[in-house]
Amino acid sequence: MIQQTDLDERRLVEALKRGDSSAYAQAVSQFSPGMLAVARYYLDTGSAEDIVQDCWVTVIDAIQKFEGRSGLKTWLHRIVANRCKNRLRSTHREIPTDFSERLDPELASRFDASGRWATPPKLRFDASAEALLENEALSNCLDKHLAHLPETQRSALILYEAHQHRSDDVCNILDVSASNLRVMLHRARQKIFLMVETFQETGQC
Amino acid sequence: MLMCRELAGIASDYIDGELTTGRNLSVKMHLMMCRPCRSFIGNLRTSTELMRRHTASHVEAAVIDRINQRISEALGARPERKD
Repeated sequence: MIQQTDLDERRLVEALKRGDSSAYAQAVSQFSPGMLAVARYYLDTGSAEDIVQDCWVTVIDAIQKFEGRSGLKTWLHRIVANRCKNRLRSTHREIPTDFSERLDPELASRFDASGRWATPPKLRFDASAEALLENEALSNCLDKHLAHLPETQRSALILYEAHQHRSDDVCNILDVSASNLRVMLHRARQKIFLMVETFQETGQC
Repeated sequence: MLMCRELAGIASDYIDGELTTGRNLSVKMHLMMCRPCRSFIGNLRTSTELMRRHTASHVEAAVIDRINQRISEALGARPERKD
């Protein structure tokens, strides 16, 4: 059975193939945040934006050959990743990553030598994520902490959580092993957990 | 037996259903007995959902505008296809 989202994507692809400018505006708005997350994993902010702009211009021609074997989002993210990898090869730059420890140092310090909680979580978050997000101060605090995450963790988080890619797609796009992706996601989530906990306890960001 | 520190290290894998059956069972047994770890898992789950909703709604308007500008220029340089 054909899903509505598949139908919407087919229509969008057909419109892009016709060079319909409003279809491009829709696609740019829908897919660019994820493309930027991919590019920023590999490159500095300025170069990442340049690469994403260049990719969109490439897409105007390349879309004619798009056959829909993967979703449009995955296809676009792979184009960006491949361009970034080529750029990295030419500059011989390494991506800084730390997969040595699953626990965030701040969280790790909350266990005693026997591995039990020395400083356990003080309270259980009493509201749903949806209700918590209604608090503007918390929302701003989230922005601040997301901005301070290492690019590698933020990109993994955005692709996996916000863009709902499957793990193997994220591994392919970011050129990372499944176990290292798990570490990146967990490290990012712990940072946000610690931030929300501090905010809930003290009201401070 | 699984200790709290170890459980905290694999908490995301548990939330995402990425653990083996045996490992998953030992996390569940630990959670039945350990209130701090139940709070930790619950809070980590809420934080994850919070981030999922927050990042999904985050749009970088200025960057999007610049990309649209580039696309308009590129599209303007070629005829619209009728097929």
